[in-house]
Amino acid sequence: MIEIQNLSGSLGEFCLRNIDLTVQDGEYMVLLGPTGAGKTVLIEYMVGMYRQREGVILVDGEDITPLYTEERNIAYVPQDYALFPNLSVAGNIAYGLEAKRHPKKEITRITEEILDALGIGHLRHRMPLNLSGGEKQRVALGRALATRPKVVLLDEPLSALDENLRAQMSRELRDLQQSSKATFVHVCHNFEEASAVADRIAIMNNGFLVQVGTLEEVKAQPKNEFVARFLKTQNIFPAVADGTKVLVNGIQLEKKSSTRGDMVMAIRPEKLRIHPDNEAGGLNAFRGTIVEAIPRPHFIEYTVDVGLKLTVFQIAEREYRVGDAVTVQVPAEHIALVEKV
Amino acid sequence: MSGEECSRGPSAKAASPGKKAASDRLLFKTFFYSFAGFLFLFSAYLFLSNFDQLLVTEAAVKTRELTTWGEDREILNLFAGGFWKDPYFWKSLNLTLMITILTTILASLVGIPTAYALSRYRIPGKTVIEVLFSSMLVIPASSVGLCLIVMFNYGPFWHLQEKLGFRFAHSIFPGMIIASFVLSFALGLSAWKATFDSVNPRFEQVARSLGSSRWRAFRTVTLPMAKSGLAAGIILAWTRAMAEFGAVLFFCGTFRELPPARFSNLERALHIDQADWLSVAIWAQVEYGNVEYGFALAYILVLIGGISVYAMHRIGAKGYIW
Repeated sequence: MIEIQNLSGSLGEFCLRNIDLTVQDGEYMVLLGPTGAGKTVLIEYMVGMYRQREGVILVDGEDITPLYTEERNIAYVPQDYALFPNLSVAGNIAYGLEAKRHPKKEITRITEEILDALGIGHLRHRMPLNLSGGEKQRVALGRALATRPKVVLLDEPLSALDENLRAQMSRELRDLQQSSKATFVHVCHNFEEASAVADRIAIMNNGFLVQVGTLEEVKAQPKNEFVARFLKTQNIFPAVADGTKVLVNGIQLEKKSSTRGDMVMAIRPEKLRIHPDNEAGGLNAFRGTIVEAIPRPHFIEYTVDVGLKLTVFQIAEREYRVGDAVTVQVPAEHIALVEKV
Repeated sequence: MSGEECSRGPSAKAASPGKKAASDRLLFKTFFYSFAGFLFLFSAYLFLSNFDQLLVTEAAVKTRELTTWGEDREILNLFAGGFWKDPYFWKSLNLTLMITILTTILASLVGIPTAYALSRYRIPGKTVIEVLFSSMLVIPASSVGLCLIVMFNYGPFWHLQEKLGFRFAHSIFPGMIIASFVLSFALGLSAWKATFDSVNPRFEQVARSLGSSRWRAFRTVTLPMAKSGLAAGIILAWTRAMAEFGAVLFFCGTFRELPPARFSNLERALHIDQADWLSVAIWAQVEYGNVEYGFALAYILVLIGGISVYAMHRIGAKGYIW
């Protein structure tokens, strides 16, 4: 288990402020945030490249802060993979085992196992310079996993890959994490990438850790307007809450929990439902007109004007056209009221 | 309409950069080869225009017009025959190789770790150190020699010499080594630092995260990646040491006026009884009227320098680029 307690420090223009984060054994944690949020700085502190100003990092209860990088047993895969260009693929994978003075036979055996497991046996004698992006990534992962580290830190591992390969590699990453039983901490700035691999995500902004939770948790109840926007919650409006009633642009909605004050209302577009006008009714049902309909690969993105312009993702069970009169149903349990930022 | 534009767009775009790149390459090649050709012709002209001096020497040998070198020496035959039999030449060459090899070893031993430290660590006064050594490359070497004279004739270095019982200035060991070291180190340092700067420190950090010690990460990752640049830096340092003139002349003189007893036991043991190494010997010969001998020595230096620079390019061409 990794416990980061009250970690603060700065590197150039990037800084971290009072980070508290716990990652369980065998968990796949994604650090998610925009550029400059401090995600990379956090893993650079974890790997021991730099010393933090304050705070401690505990791994299985042991404070690793005073340890050198090589003593931490935390493998690190940088964004550009940093494969050693003077060593072959097999040499790269065996590097950590040689550094830790494993017997030669064992080094050969583990290297072969890793090469086979990652499906890169045919590349064993190739030099890294001649590998494709996906091959480089597999070698980098193999090199990191060969020494059986407690923790693997991945800095934007999929960002250099094209979209199709990214989807495939994210599945492979997930499988590797489960088979190796190592704790993975994966840095990225892409919500879709995070949702493909993460057990939990930690959202960072401007050096602060804003929210930690499972994907469903953070989507259902974002901590503030920044998180809601970052997670692509498109329906975000200034709102006044009074108990279970929420007033948005003159429209009154009912929600389950009770809150008071000036806030921001966030509703995820996939939680809204569009019904034909004559079938509508009930709580939080608003009549309106379709003003835009954009076909997406797996759903249609509608914009419906109900006094507010609501975005709705709906699977094409029934297609509506621009100008159709419809009713939008806003489920009370999916209305999130969050702090303004 | 827009769909058509989209479908046509990429292919049109793909064709144009290709053409542009080809024309850029052609332009670059034309410029490069013209420039290289000009440089080659110009240097060939310079070299060949001086070559007649050697031929004149052969004629001079026959007509015995030039008889200015020493009491016991015949007119130097130089390349026409006998030049390489002259002990003065061999002693100069021997001294040059001995001093430059020692200087290069010393400069590399001090310079490579210093360059690594300057490239990788936050060191107080780092910029001052870099500016100090870089500025040495742009000031006359004679100024460096003068600075060394002042430095070693006053203050703590003077007291050190008094305690040790010998003088650094006007000595071969360590005087000439110190004088040639300064600029050789400065040039080597800039090359070695640039080499380490070009190797991404991320490689070492990853190596260390895999359990490698700092030294092992340097030895197994950084060093193999930097070896071409480091070797090129060593050759640069060596050629700079070999070409050193001003600083050595100012700091060490030519010993011409000094009695044989002035040479230390170590120097005598190494059969060093003259302080004219090649670059100084060229000047000394011309100064004493043996212009042809000076030319002959200069050609030897040019030959060694040319081979060194060629070797440096060969080594540099094999280097990694990141």
